[in-house]
Parts: sequence; structure tokens; C-alpha cells
Amino acid sequence: MALLQLINVNKVFKSGQTEIEALKTTSFAAEGGELIAIIGPSGSGKSTFLTIAGGLQSPSNGEVLINGQDITHLKEKQRASIRLQEIGFVLQSSNLVPFLNVQQQLQLLDKVKKNNMEAEKLKELYDSLGIADLMGSFPSDLSGGQRQRVAIAKALYTNPSIILADEPTASLDSDRAFEVMEMLKKAATNNGKTVIVVTHDTRLIQYCDKVYKITDGQLKQEVSNAMESSSFSNH
Amino acid sequence: MFLAWNEMKNNKLRFSLIVGVLTLVSYLVFFLSGLANGLENLNKEAVVKWDADGIILTEESDINLPQSSMNPDEYDGNGASEYATLGQFNAIATSGEQKSPVAIFGISEDEFIMPDVTEGRAFKYTGEVVADDSLREEGFQIGDELKLSSVDETLTISGFTEDARFNASPVLYGSFETLQKVRFGDSAENRDYKVNGFVVRTGNLDEIEVADSLQVVPTQTFIEGMPGYSEQSLTLSFMIYFLFIISAVILAIFLYVLTIQKISIFGVMKAQGVSSGYLAKSVVAQTFLLALAGTIIGFVLTIATGYFLPAAVPVAFNYMDMLIYGAVLVFVSVLGALFSIQTIVKIDPLEAIGG
Repeated sequence: MALLQLINVNKVFKSGQTEIEALKTTSFAAEGGELIAIIGPSGSGKSTFLTIAGGLQSPSNGEVLINGQDITHLKEKQRASIRLQEIGFVLQSSNLVPFLNVQQQLQLLDKVKKNNMEAEKLKELYDSLGIADLMGSFPSDLSGGQRQRVAIAKALYTNPSIILADEPTASLDSDRAFEVMEMLKKAATNNGKTVIVVTHDTRLIQYCDKVYKITDGQLKQEVSNAMESSSFSNH
Repeated sequence: MFLAWNEMKNNKLRFSLIVGVLTLVSYLVFFLSGLANGLENLNKEAVVKWDADGIILTEESDINLPQSSMNPDEYDGNGASEYATLGQFNAIATSGEQKSPVAIFGISEDEFIMPDVTEGRAFKYTGEVVADDSLREEGFQIGDELKLSSVDETLTISGFTEDARFNASPVLYGSFETLQKVRFGDSAENRDYKVNGFVVRTGNLDEIEVADSLQVVPTQTFIEGMPGYSEQSLTLSFMIYFLFIISAVILAIFLYVLTIQKISIFGVMKAQGVSSGYLAKSVVAQTFLLALAGTIIGFVLTIATGYFLPAAVPVAFNYMDMLIYGAVLVFVSVLGALFSIQTIVKIDPLEAIGG
């Protein structure tokens, strides 16, 4: 069963008399274990897509199903609870709380949600992300890459079924960017999560199982050269 | 609490400033309450000391003890479990360099309004008086001869008692003979004894029947009727109530600004699914801690200041009052935080993450 399903979804914004269709009617499904890239220039509607998929806003038409549950018509309070249970966000600007150290960032999640990652798995996660030594550091003491890795740890910590990453590599150099992508890839393949990465960085495509392109609000699956080359490299 | 506490720990300067302001406000509240209490005591101490339920005065006195005058046999004690006759006369007492306004109470030694003598002995002969110990603090001593302003008589201090001021004047307790002499000087022997009132203890003031020319006044009404008493305590109470409002507003403003600064952080947390309720609770917890800290520090400062104040400042701390005021202060501060909660509820996680 698809973990994330969008059925005939569109989003229309009204600005005065004019209507802007930020996301044209589109259907989309993602299975567990898939790493999916959504690429497109800024203003193309990829953030709109991501926020609808993540339950941050409702579509104008259509339905959004997360793990089989229709969230389209839920109230914000219930959607917040779904986000907490099912979705991990890795945001462009780091989503860390400035006055909490790395360990406390994760403790905060324990305060608001039960059944988070077990201690053993968590240690594994720390090691794979290379942040085990940073537990006492505050976000302001971390480099951009370290912050992004902590953000990923935070997103994975609540055991979500879907991870939505908005430009997760924006502030990183190439090496770091590839590292981050590998981690997201691992999360998908090892733990059966759906990982969706929104980016305009085409270098990242090689890590992805599927690539969608979004232009002027129109989402289309891409069967590009990069895609094929990535398929080749997998075989 | 987790979020609230860690934020304060990591932004010490910011939050110390808020605690500092709250400390000053609570310091002022406590000090004013002490002052209000002290000023009230200054007026009513001697009356409270009676531990009586009411006082019988003449109708035309307008509840003013010096203006009430009656014969000692005008009330026979009906309806009261105990009663005491009281004569009163105001004067200025002088002893060498020392000068003080005094209220002279003429009483019988066997009446319940006879004060406990804490130093020296009770009055025995005509002309002897037991004085309030605030006079001792002013430099008067046992055995001092007091010259009075209006008559040619002198009084001798035979002892001291505690907490006996009436209408801001220290009380001198003496016998009726003493009072008569002070009132009328040489002609005292030719005058009838007059008293100013009857102090009564009873289970029910309504049961006391008096002549039409007299009225039974409950003790509290009597105290509130003292010249300037209500005006003073109302003024100070108003100042205290205003400080409550001020502290609520100050805290509301501070927290509102802090909340505005944190909109993006809160937004990101909300995007991750942290509920508005959790964030709101965190802000309330923070406010509570800040207000509590400020109030406690203010309390300690007030008590500390109390020790260094000269006796002339009429400050008397009533810990029960202070406890209530402190609790109100914390409560209104938390009310101030509610203002920020609606901001938190309104934060759209979508905007916060730049969707």
C-alpha cells in the first residue's frame, strides 16, 4: 500500500480578482522504501506540493491519504497530530530550536510524543550521522552541515513513515550534500520509509528511485538520462 | 516546563531583566502593603488592643471619640458580656527636650481595656500613667515627668505597654481621677465625671439597648470612622491594585515581544506537529516561574529593608496580606501571558517554514 497518496489534488490561491493555480490537478503515490526527488525551479509549486503532502495545508480539491488515512478534511489540531506521528520534516533552514542543545532537541520530541526511537537504534543513528559528539552543543555552535544532520536525526527520531525534505542540501558543499543524501537513502531502503526530497540540485538525482519534475504547477514523472544512469548504476 | 526552563537557562540576561522588573514591582507592592498596614496600626492599635466588639458613643459625636461625652451611668451593661468605661483626652506631652502628641485614656484598673504592662508597673496614684512604648523609643523613660500643653498638671510615667497608639498618638493610660485632673486642672473637684464611651464585648451587638441619645458602633466601623483612616488606606490600596495591573501589563508586553521573536521557531515546531497547547503551556509555565521568582526576591528584599528602616517609618508587615498580594501578583502576571497565547495559536506553520 502506498504510504503517501495524492488523488486529483490541486491548489488554487486567490489574490484579489485573479486566481493562481499553484498546483495543477495531479495524482501521486509513493511506496515505502522509495526515495523520490521532486525538482523544479523556484516558484514552480514544489513547496506547495510538499506542504500539501505533509499535511501543512489542505488542497483546494482532491484527497490526501497518509498511511491510508484521509487527512484532507481534518482540523489543524488533528493534522498536527498526524504530522507528529507519521511525518518527519527536514527543512531548508534548519528546523532546530536555538535554545536547546542537540540532546534536548530530541528530548523535546519525547515530551510531545511517545514511542520514539529506542536507545540502541538512536545510538546507531548518532554514529551514522556523525553527531554523537555534538550532544551538548547548541545550534549556534554547529556548522551548516552539522545542523542539517541534527535536523535529519530529529526527523528520523519519531519513527515517521514519511520523510519530507525541503532542499536538505541547500547550505552544504558537494561532499556533505552527498553524505546527507546517502543517509536519506539508507533511511528509505533500510527502514522502509518514504523519503521525498524537494530540490533544484540535479546532482542529487542519482540517489533517487523516482524523479518528478514540476513546472508551473504541473507535476510529471521524469524518465531522464540521469534517471537511467542511476538505474544502470544500481544494476 | 522543559521548553520554558531550558529557554530561560540559555537566555539568562533577557529573563533576568524581566525578573528584575517584576522584583521591583513586587517590592513596591509589598512595601506599600507594609506601609498601609503600618499606617492603619498607627491609628487603630489601641482599639485593636481592646479586643472588643463595639463601642457606645453619643449620637451627635459622629463616631468621633473625643466628641462623644456622657455620664458614667448612662449605660448599665445590658446585653454585653463585659463592658468598660473610657474617658479620653488629647494633649501634647513635654519632658525636657522631648515632645509628643498623646492620647490620654482614663480607665479603671480592673477593666478589660487595662493594658498589659511590659515594663515598670501599672498606674497606682493620681497622675501616674502607663505609656505606649513608642514614647520610649522617642527617648521618654519611666519616672519622666510629662508637662501637658493645655493644663498646669504633670503626669509621671510608671510603666510602658506595647502597641498602644490611637489616631497616630501614643496612648497614656491613667485612672479617671488622673483624666479628670488633666481635663479640668484645679477645678477638677467641682466637676462631674464624664466619660467618652463604653467599650463592650458581646456575642451580639444588636442585643444592647441604649438611650436614644447614644449609639452602638461596631469596632470596625469605629476604626474606619477615625479621621483620615479610610482615606489613607483606600489611597494605598488603590496604589497596590494599580501595581497589579501594571505588572500584568509589563509582563504581557515582555512576553508578547518574546513570542513575536519566536514565531518562526514556534512555527517550525508546529510544523513538526507540536501542539499549540504544549507551546502555550510552556509560555504560561515560563511566566509563572518568572513571576514567582520576581515575587520571592521582592519579598526577601522587602523584609531585608524592613530591618534597616528607622522607627519613624510606619511600616508593619502582615505576612498573611503579603502572601495574598504575592499570589495575586503571580496570578495577574500569568493572565498577562494569555495575551501571547492567542498569538501562538494563530501562528501558521506554513508561513513559518516559508511554504
